[in-house]
Amino acid sequence: MTPDPESLPNNDAELVARTQGGDPSAFDELVIKYSPRLYGLIYHMTSNHEDTNDLLQDVFAKAYRSITNFRGKSSFYTWMHSIAVNMTINFLKKRNRRQHPSLNDPDSHIENDPDFIAATSNGDPTKQVSIHELQKKLNAAMMKLSHDHRIVVTMFDIQGTPHAEIAKILKISEGTVRSRLFYAHRQLQNSLHEFRKP
Amino acid sequence: MSHEPMHRIIRLKRYEKPPEGYFDDFLREFHRRQRAELLRPSIVELILGRLQALISEIRVPAMAYAGATAVAVIASVLILRQPGGSGQPRFYAATYRQAPVTVPAMQPASLRVQPAENKRFDSLFPSPYLLKPRPATHESPLSF
Repeated sequence: MTPDPESLPNNDAELVARTQGGDPSAFDELVIKYSPRLYGLIYHMTSNHEDTNDLLQDVFAKAYRSITNFRGKSSFYTWMHSIAVNMTINFLKKRNRRQHPSLNDPDSHIENDPDFIAATSNGDPTKQVSIHELQKKLNAAMMKLSHDHRIVVTMFDIQGTPHAEIAKILKISEGTVRSRLFYAHRQLQNSLHEFRKP
Repeated sequence: MSHEPMHRIIRLKRYEKPPEGYFDDFLREFHRRQRAELLRPSIVELILGRLQALISEIRVPAMAYAGATAVAVIASVLILRQPGGSGQPRFYAATYRQAPVTVPAMQPASLRVQPAENKRFDSLFPSPYLLKPRPATHESPLSF
């Protein structure tokens, strides 16, 4: 069972130093810690499990090759996320319109989420929408967003990353992050108007 | 305009998760790929390997060698038999052949032997190279 990355103590600096000193097992610990979060980041950008798996492997391989150049000017978390974001956006630019969604099944806990209940019944239990129908519509709406908008929605709305951290990872101002979120939400509202509460 | 409802709906995507045990396998897959990368040949080795494979796949028929030799022989014969031409080497060869013919004509006039029977002929057609004897007084004075 993989431990929740958030629950792990922040010993990144020590693990990085050990990796730089030639201890590969220290990098394994970093892979275990960051893979779930980076998986989510890449998956919500690509909407494809297989592409996400390959990209995530490439992200960690690149990080391992470049870790000797990591000087600690930013946190390891920011550095890792920057690599993942850049590689994912480059991948999406190459993939262009060749999109074949390969979505993961939502966790069964979704059915108990009040937001899910509210969104799918929309106040009318007779008009209930299935989990997969909602998933398809959410995915289609996300794919309509530009890469720049999709990445801020993924990091802020889905992963709960603070504005300041997103700004550091994307190397943009917090104002730009908020602006992109505003326009992305407006576009999502147009795509998902049927799920809005009356 | 509040975007809170949209935020709540989009947040539901966090429930989409990879299959059970995926992250346990992920590290093993990472190690496997790292090892494979270490064993992977460099790009130069790959190109050389491809070239060798390509060359070995090209099968030249036995007759091709004989044909190529025949073409080379015929071409050589045609080149050697070709008459004249405007090439530089041939021009030099022509001048070299003429040289022995012109050398005897350049004998100095004073060494010529004048046989007795040719005296009449010489008086009719004097050679411009033989000086006639003149009296010293006929020479024009150089000073007064």
